[in-house]
Amino acid sequence: MIDTQWPRFMVFEQAAEGEPFLHNGTVHAPDAEMALLNARDVFARRPDGVAFWVVPAEAIFTRTREELANWVEKTEANQSIGRLIDYYVFGKFEQQAQCRQVGEVSAGSPTAAVQSAIQKYGIADPLWWWVLPKDAVLSSTPQDSDPMFAAAREKTFKDQAEYPVVTLMRELRSKPKADSK
Amino acid sequence: MNETQTKALAAYLVALADDELILGHRDSEWTGHAPILEEDIAFANLALDEIGHARLWYELAADLMGVERARFPDRQVYFRPAADFRCLQFVELPKGDWAFSMLRQYLFDAFEQHRLARLVKSEYQPLADVAARIRTEEIYHLRHTRAWVPRLGLGTEESRARMQAALDELWPYAQALGAPLPGELELEEEGLVPGGGSLFAVWSAEVTSLLKEASASTSFADNEVEADRAVHSEYFPALIADLQEVAQLDPAAQW
Repeated sequence: MIDTQWPRFMVFEQAAEGEPFLHNGTVHAPDAEMALLNARDVFARRPDGVAFWVVPAEAIFTRTREELANWVEKTEANQSIGRLIDYYVFGKFEQQAQCRQVGEVSAGSPTAAVQSAIQKYGIADPLWWWVLPKDAVLSSTPQDSDPMFAAAREKTFKDQAEYPVVTLMRELRSKPKADSK
Repeated sequence: MNETQTKALAAYLVALADDELILGHRDSEWTGHAPILEEDIAFANLALDEIGHARLWYELAADLMGVERARFPDRQVYFRPAADFRCLQFVELPKGDWAFSMLRQYLFDAFEQHRLARLVKSEYQPLADVAARIRTEEIYHLRHTRAWVPRLGLGTEESRARMQAALDELWPYAQALGAPLPGELELEEEGLVPGGGSLFAVWSAEVTSLLKEASASTSFADNEVEADRAVHSEYFPALIADLQEVAQLDPAAQW
């Protein structure tokens, strides 16, 4: 029996062109392409977006406020001599807010990327930082926009309270037997 | 359109709607039972979309027949005798395993994509408009279901075997996808609808090629195809009884 739990992907959604990507949640999928499709089904049924990113959860490097308070990696990070790669930087700024895209940095390691982000953006104290290599992202394409988002935009949705099914079934069941044939 | 064509087109649209309705109903049977949560949500969405498309086709038929479009879909779905439905046996077959339902949906979506590409150019503008609306969603369905074919075929030995078994069972029924719909032959000449036969050839080549890439065997015996939409499978009466049960408890109920 194989493990039936698929890898986890983080889903980010962009509300409009030029806007930062916001963290929406996670999906399980066997691969990135399926993760993108699952993202659409889980998060775009009532759409307010134009694009998705999916990123393998394990590709995201996190540093929380607590971790940063006594950050021993700081010294090592400066000495990082890895090949520079581009990272997207995200920050969670309030408990109620979605983790949002802040910008991007080039760095030799994830820890160095966090450090660069702090210097570059001068943002004090988010609840946590996320950095993720740019090449770990699978993005929806502009051609995906219509089938993924536009189709659902025209739909009207009824609240479940508008369907009095439970009440109705109770009434039907309580009808005297003589009524039914 | 003259009166004959109007009648023919209404019958054509009801048959299209019946396919979408019954396939959507079969898909909806997965709700709460799909192998993983994300696919459960995806398939429920897809089922809902198909049933929504059925409603659009029924409404268009109602307009042509001069009956009230608000009530027509419910009348068709909940109060029509099973014998009057014009869906293919292909969509009536029980949902089977995940591979079976996914592959059936793929084969159907692939065919529908070709039909919609032509219907958006129909000489009857209301039909072209609805086709354009449906097509956007169907592009997404097809992408999802097509993505599953190589994943099943090239996944594990078990997934490959399940897809092959599904294909062997579905293929003879799928041959009826290209058979003319009610009214199709008259309507095709007027540029109102495409001919299923020409769509079928393109569809067949396309799906066979993907299935081969997914290591499926596509050599099939020449089976008899039941292309008459008035002839239903042994599974259909139970499906309709299930579908209509609640509505028929109290036909006058307000929902």
